[in-house]
Amino acid sequence: MTPILSQFSYIIAIVVFLSAVGFHLSRKNINLVFLYILQSSAIAVLLFIPAIQEMDFLLLLAAVLTLAIKAVFAPYFFLRLIRRHELTFTSNAYLSLPLTLITLALLAGLAYSHVFKSFVDLSGGNMHAVSLAIAAIFVSIFLSINRRGALSQIIGVLSLENTIVALTLFLGVVDSSGLDIGVSFDIGVWVVIAVLFLSMIYKQFGSLDVSTMKKLKEE
Amino acid sequence: MTLAFIWTIQIILVLGLSPLLIGIIKKIKARLQSRQGINLLQPYRDLWKLLHKDEVISTDASWIFKFSPYLIFGLTIFLAINLPVFARLNFPYVGDFLLVAYVLALGTFFLALAGLDIGSAFGGFGSSREMTLASLAEGGLIFSFLVLAIAAKSTNIYAIAGFVSQASVFYLLPIILAAISFVMCLLAENSRYPFDNPSTHLELTMVHEAMILEYSGKRLALIEWAAYNKLFIFAALAAGLFLPFGLSFGAGIFGMLIYLAIFSLKILFIGVLVAVLESTLAKFRFFRLPDLLFTAFILNILAIVLIISL
Repeated sequence: MTPILSQFSYIIAIVVFLSAVGFHLSRKNINLVFLYILQSSAIAVLLFIPAIQEMDFLLLLAAVLTLAIKAVFAPYFFLRLIRRHELTFTSNAYLSLPLTLITLALLAGLAYSHVFKSFVDLSGGNMHAVSLAIAAIFVSIFLSINRRGALSQIIGVLSLENTIVALTLFLGVVDSSGLDIGVSFDIGVWVVIAVLFLSMIYKQFGSLDVSTMKKLKEE
Repeated sequence: MTLAFIWTIQIILVLGLSPLLIGIIKKIKARLQSRQGINLLQPYRDLWKLLHKDEVISTDASWIFKFSPYLIFGLTIFLAINLPVFARLNFPYVGDFLLVAYVLALGTFFLALAGLDIGSAFGGFGSSREMTLASLAEGGLIFSFLVLAIAAKSTNIYAIAGFVSQASVFYLLPIILAAISFVMCLLAENSRYPFDNPSTHLELTMVHEAMILEYSGKRLALIEWAAYNKLFIFAALAAGLFLPFGLSFGAGIFGMLIYLAIFSLKILFIGVLVAVLESTLAKFRFFRLPDLLFTAFILNILAIVLIISL
């Protein structure tokens, strides 16, 4: 990998990581969706680079599909859900903001620690971006665990998927563009099902806060 | 180019342009609210008016109340010579970031003392609120300097500015995190939204204005001018440390003029940023402010973790 490409990968990793941190700081659902658009666009750019370098049509198709599904299709459904049910603000997190931030710092420290050194050594010239992608994976998992709101949890899962894609691209272990196309298709279907499920939850419980879902059976 | 010449330019820059920066911020905020707004030179006129007014000093006021405006204003002049405006000129003995942070804290301390000294209820709660915020903001401020100091392996602001201007892209994330937390501290230290409303005298919200409520005339002019200078100093620090473009033009008179033009643009950018942030953010409840300042502190810790692992 050329030094310029390595630096560019690191900048993309910064965008992915900062958007994952931004999910934790965001109080409004609409900001969560816009941060997800930003993160997904960064991942699509990461896919476009090898596609253009190798002039691989299938890889280009995978990049376009990723951009269309993650940065347009999924956000459209989320925004429609937010507008329909007026879900302006996210539900509270289990931990307070200071404790959340301390946890994020610890997770970032863990990602950069010697625990993952052998893993990072596999990356060749992309070691900084790989460490950051691992940190972003932890931050995304923590979003799903820490937030009470179902929408935030879904965004956390989608962010986790984005960060795993980023990690595989930084490590250079993606061989099949067919796999990327398949994953994008899965995400598209999953988002439709998730949004329908969220609508049903909202109709049943009047909230997307999972802590209000006490009675799961109808009486 | 002598040291005295450079320092004179920096002092003139801070004293001369700081009211203009306030005027620009007020104008932009007014335009964003679809108002005409004040003339850009209005802060100069306000200072002129106050400098020519008589003052009323309470019989309860001690030397602290009378002396503080001169000290606070003098400290901003001292800070002006510590700014990384011409980073290629590496002065010894000045420009240490701890010195800058503690001189800023000294100014805040005397302002709070002056608020308490007069014995009024407003001064007391203003000082109490200011100290609560300052104790948290100073930590965030020092740590945002510390991130850069660890990366540059120096506590000298000029050396830090030189390092940041040539730093590799792998330092970008820690620098971004430090810059975000510096901006939060800038807003807190200068009593701007969402920490304080600089244009209110409502007892529920005011912090800075409560402390200076008993001042009038020349002393009020000095306090106000010092507050303008402080914002300009923060903007100049941000311009020098986090946007260190064009520092290579700094040598020679012609290069210095080019750099001063670039420097003015950077200050303008920071002024626009402050105005836009203030127009888009609502004032936070006082008890939510520690969370915000703690966020700034933890972002710096995160940045230090990233710097150490590089």
